[in-house]
Amino acid sequence: MNYTVINRDVHVSDIHLVAVASASLFLIGDADVINLSSAFDTPPESLIIGPFVPLVQVRGEES
Amino acid sequence: MKRTSVVQAFHSETVVISSVLQIGDSERISARTCDLAVQRQHELFFGSEGEQTFPVFTKPIPRWSFPSPITSKQTLHQSPVISARSVRVLGISSSSIVHIGSTSTVEAESRIKHIRHLDGPAPTRGRDL
Repeated sequence: MNYTVINRDVHVSDIHLVAVASASLFLIGDADVINLSSAFDTPPESLIIGPFVPLVQVRGEES
Repeated sequence: MKRTSVVQAFHSETVVISSVLQIGDSERISARTCDLAVQRQHELFFGSEGEQTFPVFTKPIPRWSFPSPITSKQTLHQSPVISARSVRVLGISSSSIVHIGSTSTVEAESRIKHIRHLDGPAPTRGRDL
């Protein structure tokens, strides 16, 4: 696929961001390759109700 | 040839947990975070809890592996400037990147394991094993 880019004027006045979080990118400029990935894990067995003992590898954590 | 980025005013409060605030061009940025977030009802720190690994830290995350469909690309900068008057960012966290300027390769990965630990009589889990 042939791809032609003609860049004209790009001007933004004000940008307000609350947060840029978890492997994200806020770019004012050009880039060639962008590769972002994020993983998040909180299965039911992550809710532990019980005495305060050091956390050990919870059995059956192979999910 | 890359364009020039112009920002007159920039304000950010916090840049934490392997994040990058880059002002100016760069070639390659890669940021990686493995985060064990334990929410405990009482303030107790055992210190040695981060040693064991959880599957979320080691499980491979599928990546885009197809070759780019673009065979030929021409770029013509009629106006070689990207400009913004003011940028305000409150928080930049967990391997995030705020980049004013051009770059070539950006790679970021963040893995978070959340555990909630509430006080209680019987040692039950969310799901009885």
